[in-house]
Amino acid sequence: MVFSDLATQTIVNGLLLGGIYALAALGLSLVFGIMDIVNLAHGHMLMVGAYIAILVFAATGITPLVGMVLAMALMFGLGVLLQKVLLKHVVDEGLEQPIIILFGLALILQNLGRVILGGDARTADIGIPGNGFDIGIAFMSFPRTVTFIVAVLLIAATWAFLQYTKTGQAIRATAQNRTAAKHMGINTDQIYVITLGIGTALAGAAGALLSMLFPIDPYVGWSYLLKTFAVVVLGGVGSVLGTLVGGLVLGVSENLGALYLGGGYRNVVSLLIFLAVLLVKPEGLFGGSGGGE
Amino acid sequence: MARDDTSIRRRRYLKGAGATGTLAITGLAGCTLGGGGDDGGDSGGDSGGDSGGDSDSSGDSGGDSGGDATPLTIAGTVPDSGSFSSLGEDLRRGYELGVARMNEELDREVELILRDDESDAQTLREQLQAIVSNNDVNMIWGSFSSLLVTAGSAFAENQGLPFLGIAFAYEEPHRNDNYEWTFAPFPKSRDVARSTLGTLELIPEEERPTNVGIWEPNSGWGAEQAQYWEDVLGEAGYDVVMREVFELGSSDFSTLISQAESNEVEVLLSNPTPPGGITAVNQMRDNNWAPQMLKFVRGADPSAWWSALGEDGAYALMCPGWVPGLTGNGNAELREAFFNEYDTDAEFMPANVGGSYNLTQVAQQAVEAAGSVDPTAVRDALRSEEFETVIGTFSFEENGLPAEGELTAPTGQWWEGAQRLAYPDTDSEQAIDFQYPIPPWSER
Repeated sequence: MVFSDLATQTIVNGLLLGGIYALAALGLSLVFGIMDIVNLAHGHMLMVGAYIAILVFAATGITPLVGMVLAMALMFGLGVLLQKVLLKHVVDEGLEQPIIILFGLALILQNLGRVILGGDARTADIGIPGNGFDIGIAFMSFPRTVTFIVAVLLIAATWAFLQYTKTGQAIRATAQNRTAAKHMGINTDQIYVITLGIGTALAGAAGALLSMLFPIDPYVGWSYLLKTFAVVVLGGVGSVLGTLVGGLVLGVSENLGALYLGGGYRNVVSLLIFLAVLLVKPEGLFGGSGGGE
Repeated sequence: MARDDTSIRRRRYLKGAGATGTLAITGLAGCTLGGGGDDGGDSGGDSGGDSGGDSDSSGDSGGDSGGDATPLTIAGTVPDSGSFSSLGEDLRRGYELGVARMNEELDREVELILRDDESDAQTLREQLQAIVSNNDVNMIWGSFSSLLVTAGSAFAENQGLPFLGIAFAYEEPHRNDNYEWTFAPFPKSRDVARSTLGTLELIPEEERPTNVGIWEPNSGWGAEQAQYWEDVLGEAGYDVVMREVFELGSSDFSTLISQAESNEVEVLLSNPTPPGGITAVNQMRDNNWAPQMLKFVRGADPSAWWSALGEDGAYALMCPGWVPGLTGNGNAELREAFFNEYDTDAEFMPANVGGSYNLTQVAQQAVEAAGSVDPTAVRDALRSEEFETVIGTFSFEENGLPAEGELTAPTGQWWEGAQRLAYPDTDSEQAIDFQYPIPPWSER
């Protein structure tokens, strides 16, 4: 492998990582954008998805890419259950009640993970032979490249679902004006159930992909919540395109921050981006203008 | 989705964002405290085993020298659950084997009250408080990592009880916290640096690498260990071409790997958490880069290293305090006792069993020398005596550090699924010749 330029390699690594950040943030963005709920359990849902993929891999040897599908299905169910049982009665009662419920859920998931699986970090191997390939300007790691491609495909599929299906159009209509949507015959309660299901499934998918790259322990939820929130703030709430751009920007910024400021500042960069965008452009890069959709 | 102006008002958005950020940061802080990486000590390992050819005596003279037969009650904790749980069993087994030996060889009853600290400093303090409140405790042992060991030490200092702790190499607390009751029968940062140099000197001079890279965790011990490495290896003529700080608990080492390759690092030294070390090697493989020599004092210590990495984890060096292949001072007896007591198919004994067993040898010899379980008498014996244990022969400085230069930090190397002694060189069948250099990934 030849690193022709350290900065170029760093940017490429950041872009590959940013794709997964974007997928991880997409579910949070959709739920926030459509239901006005800040899902504080999103990072922990990601952790659960990762554990599902890891356990499937450990038990069967099947690649986490397949485990990801199971994780998405199970997490969709969890999201549906969560909306129907816990959030249904408080979803229109302001921000505070859902936040408290979801914060509690995060703690429950974290401690369940700790009790059931222990505190040790676990990871899964992607199972693809070879290390990677050189594209001239940079070396492309196979696991990062594969997870990036899968993440972008899932983001594109979500965008297409929202754009071209009746359910997707109903979701967008509900996001624009719930009352009007209701008067047009859209079952908005059902839309909320589907939205939280999709958001949770996307968290599960992102977790499964992340398990191929990084160790997962019951506590990682908080750090990924912070990262995904930074992406949502950067890209704009509810914007699929904004989330993708936000993820890529965060991935590259983190890596360049680690290169030029030092590795100890990697996570500080996320926080600084989060605060800076919140102060300067709180609607985000693509928020409030149609979000590119 | 396009949104109308009424759906999310700016103020509400900011409120939600602020609340989320605050909670996320609070949670993140909690995560770091509760489940974060190892900030301190060296972890134990898998598949160990000491010298089968060891024929020396145990080093324990046997028999309590005084007429006082007051029972010895010891309080201790191990991480049976939580982040360090993979090491709890090894620590516990070393203590149990040691207490069994103490009960045979001391003229007094020895009771060890051992609880699970859940890898959490607060839980550790609560457990120790509960034990001390309900028992006439004479001494405290354990647990693992500077995070937990220093918490136990602080409790013992406050109680005025002798404290013995292994699995933490951080020296600074010994100097800054004015330890009066704390003693660490364990290699410290300066010993780790010296053993790194010793390992390098095993390589024929004409083949010896020159470029050293240090990945420094942003912790007190990280900075201390990095500085020792830089000083010791720099003075010996090695060129420290890279010293980069990374966040303890970080899971993305891609930038550091790129920097190491760019700087033509041949010897890579670090003390990451075990999960961090495993991730780093996985990412080295994915980026098709590896140094010629790799020493992860923290990351490569536990059994999880091999179970997670398999052959990818071979060649890695570690410094867990005791490594299969050490001889003398009771190593043969320890090996025999371990395999008699525990049903295992392993050929080698886990490294942390040796570390904690060594602690029990120190405790026994201190009580023997004191002729009493009186805390002050035991503390004075710890300060004045010389101890012979499975990790070597040493005494303590006033501040509880092992006396400088007396203790060699054994360096192990992962080879065929086991940790084997690579430095110092012994004639044990359990030791190996230092395997150097690490071949490229394509040839492994």
